[in-house]
Amino acid sequence: MNNPNDSLALEHNATEPLKIKIIGVGGAGTNALNNLELNPLCGVGQVQVAAINTDAKALSESRIPEKLVIGRSVTRGLGAGGELEIGKKAAEDDREAIAGLVGEMDLIILVVGLGGGTGSAAASVVAEVAARTEALVLAFATLPFSFEGKRRKDIAEAGIGELRQLVHGLIPLPNDVLLQEGEEDSTVLNAFAVADRWIGCGINSICAMLLKTGLINQDISSLRSVFQDRGGRTIFATGFASGEDYVSAALDELLICPLLHMGDRPAQLDRILVNITGGTDLGIAKVNQVISLVSQRFNSREDIVFGAVIDESRSGMLEICVMGKAGIEARQPIRPAVPTAKTSVAPLGKLGLEAEIAQDDRPPQPVHRSKLRHGDASPEVEQEEFLFVEANAQRGYFEKTDSNFYNGEDLDVPTFMRRGIKIKIKT
Amino acid sequence: MSESRVVGAVEIGTSKVVVLLGEIIDGEGLNIIGHSMSSSYGVKKGVVDDLGVASDSVHAAIMEAEKNAQSRIDEVYLAQTGSHLSGSFNVGTTSVSGPDNIVSETDIFQAKEDAKRRQLPADRAYLHHIQNPFSLDGRKIDNPLSREGRQLQVGYWSVHAESSKVSDSLRVIRGIDLEVTDIIISSIASGAVLLEDSEKESGALVVDIGGGTTDYVLYRGGYIVKTGVVPVGGDHITNDLSIGLRISPGKAEKFKRIHGRAYYESGDREKNVWLTGDPSTSDLTIGDREYPLAAITKIIEARVSEIFEIIKKELEDAELYQPDDIACGVVLTGGSSQLNGIEESVRRVLGLEARVSDGPRDVAPELRHPAYSTALGLLHYALTGQEDRETNPPPNRFLRKIARLFNFD
Repeated sequence: MNNPNDSLALEHNATEPLKIKIIGVGGAGTNALNNLELNPLCGVGQVQVAAINTDAKALSESRIPEKLVIGRSVTRGLGAGGELEIGKKAAEDDREAIAGLVGEMDLIILVVGLGGGTGSAAASVVAEVAARTEALVLAFATLPFSFEGKRRKDIAEAGIGELRQLVHGLIPLPNDVLLQEGEEDSTVLNAFAVADRWIGCGINSICAMLLKTGLINQDISSLRSVFQDRGGRTIFATGFASGEDYVSAALDELLICPLLHMGDRPAQLDRILVNITGGTDLGIAKVNQVISLVSQRFNSREDIVFGAVIDESRSGMLEICVMGKAGIEARQPIRPAVPTAKTSVAPLGKLGLEAEIAQDDRPPQPVHRSKLRHGDASPEVEQEEFLFVEANAQRGYFEKTDSNFYNGEDLDVPTFMRRGIKIKIKT
Repeated sequence: MSESRVVGAVEIGTSKVVVLLGEIIDGEGLNIIGHSMSSSYGVKKGVVDDLGVASDSVHAAIMEAEKNAQSRIDEVYLAQTGSHLSGSFNVGTTSVSGPDNIVSETDIFQAKEDAKRRQLPADRAYLHHIQNPFSLDGRKIDNPLSREGRQLQVGYWSVHAESSKVSDSLRVIRGIDLEVTDIIISSIASGAVLLEDSEKESGALVVDIGGGTTDYVLYRGGYIVKTGVVPVGGDHITNDLSIGLRISPGKAEKFKRIHGRAYYESGDREKNVWLTGDPSTSDLTIGDREYPLAAITKIIEARVSEIFEIIKKELEDAELYQPDDIACGVVLTGGSSQLNGIEESVRRVLGLEARVSDGPRDVAPELRHPAYSTALGLLHYALTGQEDRETNPPPNRFLRKIARLFNFD
């Protein structure tokens, strides 16, 4: 690596090592980190791993080095039992301890499973604490299965709404969608394994790109350029392949990554970060092939932040990881469906909703009058509208329409997903 | 001189706008003199979603039908669907007033009014009051006039709608300077023309699976006893395929039409189908993937069986799911009834015999397509009006009420 930029980056790293902390919050978040295999080449020692939970027993069984039990006074270390209020109180009570654990980092990656008590409530407290520091904060959040019921789903929706405002990049991983990955006869546990694998892939891509000497190196400032603003829609996708023609195969995998197909994803991303990890046989021609396809697929308007990492043990295979933020400018409102109807557009700036509304490249929609029945534009009404956004992600074509609830299930979400029927799409 | 008027039957569907022009001569004969079917825009799940866009496509369809017929529409009969439609069964009761316990016209009127007086929330309005049989001291009776008894009861299946949704549909028609004479819900319109009187008598369920909604009507003993709308249709099948197979909605639609089947069978596991069938496509696009047929049929099976499960549940909740009383089984219509294997799905879920309607026999072959059945039903009502005992469309005074209700211009 005789690239002068690389040596500069190395020098910079040598004088002031980059501080990265990965924090698992709640039971599911901790479990995900238990299974995380950090790439040993990406500077072990610089990446700290920590876990926060209300359940002292679960935490003591974890092999994560740094652990924090919160809310002992509330739960006596027994967990939040799925109760949001308990999780919230536990986190609020131990805010100082959380601040101590968060510390002063360059990059913080939160991993949380939403829908339960601790993760859903404490994650936003941790994010809030982290937001007060200089750190760049990213979060991976799994969302419960539809068959777990509406209550957990509602909790997760609320949690994701809060988190999104606090972190620079939020990557939601719906379990319904994750179940679709892997073998046809696999079970619900498989979805957890897929979530863990993807979270691991995302974390490793970021860390390797920042810390490891590669074909193309990136530093924390390029990562910051992708995740400049808080809020907004983050896109995350991975593709992995090995064997013959692994470049095309990995690209195919990337393009059918289910996270890219949860309905009407933005076709255009402002800034994207692409990291590829391959063996010593990964030449510049293959790298170019990946770059051109990825920029074409995401129609990236600005430059791509591109990293390529060489791992000698990975010859004959390729892993591609794409992360990006959707544009956040609003456009001219289209004609509302009922011109004379009483409509209200949520005051965007006040609620910090610009990013939410613009995530689908469509202008703000008037609030349907059915939602205004109980008075004009009360804050609750606007909040409700906002919380629907994440649920909409799985509704595809019906994303913009009124939700379609029947016995607590949204009929616009594909039946096979709600019922956990696995679809094998590879021949 | 014979007197004629031209009725436009308009169905603003989720995927198609259907317009039929019928010339009614002397209030007796009906000639269908023009028709058009075109893609619908700005309509989702049976409800106008974007008024401007929807108006443009409906106006174009009306003008095409008028041009086709070389005639102008005098009045419009409009179909209505959407999940905002809802219904309830209400029973009206009165004591027979005469000293001799003989039922008079007044008693019948009293019982009917009693059934219809249930108030709705301010944002809803009745579309239909559909009369069911009378009962005189507990005995079922079609016409109680001059019969002897003490207590007279009559049941009504009453359908109501969200006023704002209906007014959006009315606005679309008003926008082209036409007046809506009557609004009839899609299921009732379809049912009227697809069933023979004998089938209505023995009991039959008509299920109209459209693009965005599935409308059904249940006939028992010659009466409409229940109607319903499941806000799920062919668009949902396409969307499910698009998400599940990770392909564009256009390609998903194509898959549904060419390879779709309403149920999964184990043989599907061995079969693969091509998305484009064009091997010249670059291998870096998703254009030339091969897909297991099982993926397609499993996705569709989940969705289609859910539609019938919801209908079954709604009939069970109303205590109307008694296969013996639905002796003529299920008659399927609507664009999505063309899906391969749909009858089998009905048999598996509802346990009833099913057939896909091949349209009313007394119309020209090109109008027997399932997409026309609702509009044909509208014309049927335009001709027969309220004389039809069994189906009992809303009387005219009620229509004036609607017209007033939605008259905000």
